[in-house]
Amino acid sequence: MAVIGSLFALGANQISPRGLALTRNYFPAGTGRRLPGLLPVSVSHNASGTDFLAADSGQVLAAELKEKGLQLIDCSRAAQLFHGPRFAQNQVVFIDARDEPRYREGHIPGAYEFDPYRPEKYFDAVLPLCRAAEQIVVYCNGGDCDDSETAAVLLRDIGIANQKLLVFGGGISEWTTNGLPVETGGRSSGNLRIPGK
Amino acid sequence: MNTGKPDWRRIALNLSAVLARWILGAVFLYAGLSKALHPVDFLKLLRQYDLVQSPLPLNVIAATLPWFETFCGLLLLAGVAVRGTALTLMLMLVPFTVLVFHRALAIQSALAIPFCMVKFDCGCGSGTVFICRKLLENCLLILFSAWLLAGYGRQLSLRFSLSKPHLRRTEPETTHK
Repeated sequence: MAVIGSLFALGANQISPRGLALTRNYFPAGTGRRLPGLLPVSVSHNASGTDFLAADSGQVLAAELKEKGLQLIDCSRAAQLFHGPRFAQNQVVFIDARDEPRYREGHIPGAYEFDPYRPEKYFDAVLPLCRAAEQIVVYCNGGDCDDSETAAVLLRDIGIANQKLLVFGGGISEWTTNGLPVETGGRSSGNLRIPGK
Repeated sequence: MNTGKPDWRRIALNLSAVLARWILGAVFLYAGLSKALHPVDFLKLLRQYDLVQSPLPLNVIAATLPWFETFCGLLLLAGVAVRGTALTLMLMLVPFTVLVFHRALAIQSALAIPFCMVKFDCGCGSGTVFICRKLLENCLLILFSAWLLAGYGRQLSLRFSLSKPHLRRTEPETTHK
């Protein structure tokens, strides 16, 4: 029974369009936050079930990124780059490291989709831009999401200079919380909305 | 000795066991499919347990476990190889529960909060849940598995045992002649 089940499972994974590539390293260079039970999870601290992360998680994350040669930026810096003139000239590029459904739900306007777990789909569109850009802002959901870090390390490992890579730790959550615009649908769809309005 | 009167207690027990089989099957079918449809999310959750360091075994577990659970769920719902499936599920559930418990202890210790206030996505297919609820659920599922392993729940099954198909016909309640 176990043998048949295992064969069924392997076959199903092979057939499934969402199946995993068994030999691929999905977490290059030890990406991910492995502090003992703090960052990778949500923890409830009160009866209403509100989630929170440890107060010093930003410092911890900054130190972890620094070890990998990456730089953490906050929302005000990300917004500054977004509103600056270099963004329109593609000298500053925003990379959304979430999967397609989440990207289409709402992303930073003009950000490029780059799911680090299916990178082959996006290399053609994203790599030339990243090579030409002066600064690359990579983000995901924020909070306990570490896909931005995974994407940044992936880009670094395929030859993008790490000095250019900025990880926006607060991600789309912090972006929307600050009332900054998001774009729904595909890139440059023109469907802009301001959260909370 | 057949007195002609139905043994209601035994019938209720057998029906409860069938219900337990269906519940267990449905839970595993749902949990398996929900993970199989989002394998990368499951891979990320699985990685947090630090079970293995090498990508290959991690990927193999993340790729096959959800489909394996789906397979077991289908077998239980259909009533095929029930005892073997129940044994397999027990062998999976017990270590999973221990792992989840240990992770919850680590979180509790790190954040100095009451144990039952710990809430996280354990990769069990049910999203973010309070740990005490998850542990209770798992204990119940282990009990159901043990019940099926003991040979109950054979009514309304296609082929309860692959090796001893004649056992189905030995049950007095299922013999209608």
